[in-house]
Amino acid sequence: MTEDIDYEIDPEDLPDRVERKPLGPPSVVVDDLHITYRVFGARRGGTTKERSSLWDKAISLGRPDTGPITEVPAVRGVSFVAHHGESIGILGTNGSGKSTLLRAVAGLLPPTSGRVFTSAEPELLGVNAALLPRLTGERNITIGGLALGLSNKEVRRNIPGVSEFAELGDFLYLPMSSYSSGMASRLRFAISTIRTPEILMIDEALATGDASFRKKSTARIEEIRAQAGTVFFVSHSLASVRAMCTRALWIDKGVLVADGDVDVVADAYHEYVEGRSDASSGAKLN
Amino acid sequence: MHDHTDAERRVSPLRPSGQRRTNLADQKAQVPLAPRLTSTESEALAARSGLAEMGIRPPLGRYIAQVWQRRSFIWNLSASRAYSRNQGSYLGQAWAVLRPILDAGVYVIIFGFLFHSSAPGIENRAAFIVIGTFTYSLFQTSVMSGLNAIPNNLQLIRSHRFPRAVVPLATVMTEMVMFAPILVAMMVVAMVTGLLPGMGAVVPTWSWLLLPFAAVLLMAFSSGLAMFFSRVGARAPDIANAMPFILTLGRYASGAMFLIPAMVPDSVWFKPLLIHQPVAIYLDLFRAVFGNEELIPMTPLLWLEAIGWAVVVFALGFLYFWRAEETYGRD
Repeated sequence: MTEDIDYEIDPEDLPDRVERKPLGPPSVVVDDLHITYRVFGARRGGTTKERSSLWDKAISLGRPDTGPITEVPAVRGVSFVAHHGESIGILGTNGSGKSTLLRAVAGLLPPTSGRVFTSAEPELLGVNAALLPRLTGERNITIGGLALGLSNKEVRRNIPGVSEFAELGDFLYLPMSSYSSGMASRLRFAISTIRTPEILMIDEALATGDASFRKKSTARIEEIRAQAGTVFFVSHSLASVRAMCTRALWIDKGVLVADGDVDVVADAYHEYVEGRSDASSGAKLN
Repeated sequence: MHDHTDAERRVSPLRPSGQRRTNLADQKAQVPLAPRLTSTESEALAARSGLAEMGIRPPLGRYIAQVWQRRSFIWNLSASRAYSRNQGSYLGQAWAVLRPILDAGVYVIIFGFLFHSSAPGIENRAAFIVIGTFTYSLFQTSVMSGLNAIPNNLQLIRSHRFPRAVVPLATVMTEMVMFAPILVAMMVVAMVTGLLPGMGAVVPTWSWLLLPFAAVLLMAFSSGLAMFFSRVGARAPDIANAMPFILTLGRYASGAMFLIPAMVPDSVWFKPLLIHQPVAIYLDLFRAVFGNEELIPMTPLLWLEAIGWAVVVFALGFLYFWRAEETYGRD
């Protein structure tokens, strides 16, 4: 059962169970959210909904094996209300729509239908796509910081701190392509944790690098988490979710199947994963 | 299509009592589910708690302010990308300059020496072609990169929140940054062509100081088109395949290597269109600023036309891009 292996954080590094803060006012309201991906030239078959107008048939003449556009529903009608002081884990097998849901709630992926209301701009932690491997670490910190919405001055002030946290040393002035993979991911992590947002979203693959850095980064996440109003945490690691969250949402094939106290949902999820024979999941295929 | 999933069927009954489900009536709830609100209830709750809806296009005024706020992001992103573009080859940044020179060389050989009559009345055909092709290349790369801006930056768009107009603006700005050394090369190459047999001399004049302004106007115009095409390209990636042909047609229709007024017969009804279309205007503007041909004088009207096209096309492109702001990043 691969889901039981904790890729991200060593069990001994896990913080003690989070204390439950009293629930504040709502911070995120998600109403009947649907996300559908368009896929070009997917294979025809029973897996997905297919458009079959005369026009689509005409333009797919050049591709006998594939339809022109197939639609993959990744999130189907999810609704929930999150409150200040809540730490919400999102559980689900690979491809169940966890990350898609997270991105949609963060406002990074426009919903196909449905609405998302938030009290502040959520921030997604753990990804940093603005980085350019041919540029120096210093330059990349600047771009990453600006992408997060910091001002030029704030970015400059943060460069030494980020460099120190990521343990770059003199590599700060070398191109990122010369970094070891651990060093690069340390830098990515350090850049994305510059700010403490009101609504924080954490996508998997958090703690990176060697054991000592993992400890450090877990501590940093804890620090941010303690300050943020609402935290969303995506993982298929049950141990991390149990430790870091007070509430859990379980997504299966894009549908919210469970939403409640973290222990109750995690137990049900665990039971389901144990009993499952095939590892494949993905979007709804039937 | 049946709506209950594998997970629901397998999970042992826990405590469905007291839980309420409204929308997905088909599902057999066997796991706890927090109370689900209807759409109207959600909206009312959000309004009561002062929550703002996500993914809503901001009003134009605020959107412009947001883009302006991100100007140092635009600048840093473009400068860094321009710098990293040519890193990975022996000659590095030099290729940014060498490429258009080689490009211009091809046209100079063909239209400057083989087809003598392509620009009657022009004393230095080689310089005429060099200025035309260099300038057109700025326009061409800007439009092409604008077209691919959204697909190429999908990761960035899906990781950070910022007004999406930053993306096409930064891609055009990247081309602009790359154009600075090209502009210098253009002046040098134009002067060198004066030494070729049968070509008129090209001497620097004070008017050359206006070249950056001409480049800024062309960039504003190209940005407008880039924003227009990046919205189109975001929805229909197919257009990227057709674009090179359109741009090649544009190169000829703008007279990058021949003189439109002389080569197109008066009987052609769309001849005035060819002369006054924006790209032809910008090529003329650059040649006029060089000031080495009596046939192409620098007139206030030329500048006015260039400014007019830049303002109008930039504004329309920005507006068109903004109208779909909430859709970028969707597949």
